[in-house]
Amino acid sequence: MSLNEQLKKDFSTLTLALMAVAIVLNIVLGQLVSLLKLPIFLDSIGTVLVALLAGPWAGGLTGLLTNLIWGLISDPVAVAFAPVAMIIGIVAGLCAKYGLFKKWWQAILSGAIITVALSFVAIPIRVYMFGGVTGSGADFVVAYLLATGKDLFSAVLITVISNNLIDKVVTALLAWGIVKGLHQRFTARFPRASAVTE
Amino acid sequence: MPYSLYLPGNSWLHRLHPLTKLAFSLAAAVIIFAGPGEWLSAALPGLLAMLLLWRAGLAWHVASVSFRLLALLSCVLFLVHGFFNPHNQTILLALGPFAIGVEGLAFAALVVLRLAATLFASLLLVVATHPAHLVQALAEARLPYGLAYLLGSPLLLLPQIARRVQAIRDAQQARGLETQGSLLQRARALFPLAAPLIFSALVDVEERSLALEVRGFSAHHPKTSLKELADTPPQRLARWVMLLLAGLLFIAGVWSRTYGGR
Amino acid sequence: MAVVEVQGLSYTYPGADSPALKDISFQVEAGQLLAVIGANGAGKSSLCLALAGLIPTLFHGQMQGAVTVCGLDTRQHHPGQFAGRVGLVLQNPANQLSGMRYTVYEEVAFGLENLGTPRQEMPARIENALQQVGLAGLGERSPYTLSGGQQQRLALASILAMQPNVLVLDEPTAMLDPQGSQALFTIIYKLARAGTTVIIAEHHLEWIASFADRVIALAEGSLFLDGAPGEVLSSPRLLQAGIGWLRYTRAAHLGQDRGVWPVNRALPVTLNQAVKGFQTAQLYLPGQEQDHADPD
Repeated sequence: MSLNEQLKKDFSTLTLALMAVAIVLNIVLGQLVSLLKLPIFLDSIGTVLVALLAGPWAGGLTGLLTNLIWGLISDPVAVAFAPVAMIIGIVAGLCAKYGLFKKWWQAILSGAIITVALSFVAIPIRVYMFGGVTGSGADFVVAYLLATGKDLFSAVLITVISNNLIDKVVTALLAWGIVKGLHQRFTARFPRASAVTE
Repeated sequence: MPYSLYLPGNSWLHRLHPLTKLAFSLAAAVIIFAGPGEWLSAALPGLLAMLLLWRAGLAWHVASVSFRLLALLSCVLFLVHGFFNPHNQTILLALGPFAIGVEGLAFAALVVLRLAATLFASLLLVVATHPAHLVQALAEARLPYGLAYLLGSPLLLLPQIARRVQAIRDAQQARGLETQGSLLQRARALFPLAAPLIFSALVDVEERSLALEVRGFSAHHPKTSLKELADTPPQRLARWVMLLLAGLLFIAGVWSRTYGGR
Repeated sequence: MAVVEVQGLSYTYPGADSPALKDISFQVEAGQLLAVIGANGAGKSSLCLALAGLIPTLFHGQMQGAVTVCGLDTRQHHPGQFAGRVGLVLQNPANQLSGMRYTVYEEVAFGLENLGTPRQEMPARIENALQQVGLAGLGERSPYTLSGGQQQRLALASILAMQPNVLVLDEPTAMLDPQGSQALFTIIYKLARAGTTVIIAEHHLEWIASFADRVIALAEGSLFLDGAPGEVLSSPRLLQAGIGWLRYTRAAHLGQDRGVWPVNRALPVTLNQAVKGFQTAQLYLPGQEQDHADPD
């Protein structure tokens, strides 16, 4: 199948409609969770859902656009982390493609893999553009680590991984559960979803 | 417009073609973070953006939005790096076991300057451009139609789904679900809120896509548009100049960092 | 030539145990108003999707038979080619908003832009469509501030502006209140009288009885009745299929045993028919002779 045909297949109107809704879910759930003051973000649930149903590229694009749109309407700082959101989608989609989203414990493993992968992108952005700081509670940890003699890079590494691990595992589990719980008539329209539902 | 930074108006900035403003924001961001001479590359685009905004009467608005977005981050940056930056050598002030170092403060100041300047440049685009016009401009620039849909439609869907979240929250609270309390209680409150929202949103997806198909969304015709966006040759030229300048300064910046030997 | 031809249509969704549609055949002539009735799950929605050319191309199931709309075979043409020839209105008003336009006027323009309509033609078509659905003064409003009934009329206007030959509606009043439903039905009837071919799946038997030219009834994917509203809506088979009768029909049927309704008179499906029939009946006991009824 030529690239153009593959693109059309991966980005059918149904997939586009799904991605639009997923982008909104990312934003809305992220806000809801921060209202509940839980130690997770859940702002990539839509990204992972799209990755499971429509593949890594659709998932990656969903993440990227979520941050761009959030930057457009509320906080341009979010645009800086668009690559991180994109990696989450791509890696989740790849995990699903290689059979790592069939069982619940695999979903947990995938969440951990996603965390490691996103760190490669998040840490340089955080260190170079934001001086390692987020304006959130995690900064206390960074301060403490710096005070104990670690360099900025290591301090941020430890914070990023510990911040994201729980969130990405929860997100992966939740997305897995939702895809499993969807009506078969719906998932049948997404060729890539079979990697999760079968 | 709720859920948006866009400020309706008729300033000269508003009347510029969206792609011109986008080119400016992108060029500025590149120069600020990658140009040669860290302080100068950060300060000049930021000042230029502020000047343009001031001429359009939007400077105060942008300054206050930027303040709101950066205030906390800036304080934390100064505190964390002032006290704990590994490169701290020159002590400005000693407070018991802790000392504030000049190098750390300087580092924090540079980060804040860069963020503020980038924010001014991007708000120049966002505050003075209606999202629909930006999307239309991108579609006219032959951005794939699907991408234009993905940029445009979440903006309108967002208030609709946010309302549904509120309705579900109200319903759940009426049934006595805790949204305050211990961590475990709040964690348990999450699922009954998130699950119905996600499922109901997904159920709609199929009907939405069918409605789009029926309106010819995936038809192979070249598409026309109801209204035209005003564009002028000087603006087109300016866009290319800005992007070229950004490219050149990017290369200069990489050069100076590799061979500048600092 | 019939505008819509369905021949031996059978369709099974991917992964489903049984077919959603079984061997359905019927034709629709230009300008007819055809109503499709059936219990939930009988296949009305699937039939509508098949008529709009969305099944089988988008859903990938197994299809036998043929559906030809405006001369195009649905198996051989992409949905994009049916847009502008067949219009489809669905149940949920909010889901039919494109989500890309900030005013009612631009929302109606969306379909025209996708079809490549020349810019000069757009204003006339948009205003005409808004006029037909009674939203003429609301062009500058945001679609998201409209009521459900107004949004549904906007969805219809958006389709009408594309000037389709055939209009298919899948339970368009399902999520509307009685006023909204009534307003929509009035518009649809006017369109049909003006010559648009309309196929509408609905539960409102009363409206169908008064205004449809023809009715087909579905049960478990099969078409089991096809005829004039009077015939179809008074057939006893509707009861078995879980569709039910109108109250007048039921009352007259009960009345036949009690001598209130003439035994050899057709059961009524509209209020007028019911009133006339009850007026002419004369009370009698089984076994006695009847007086000749009023020739009405």
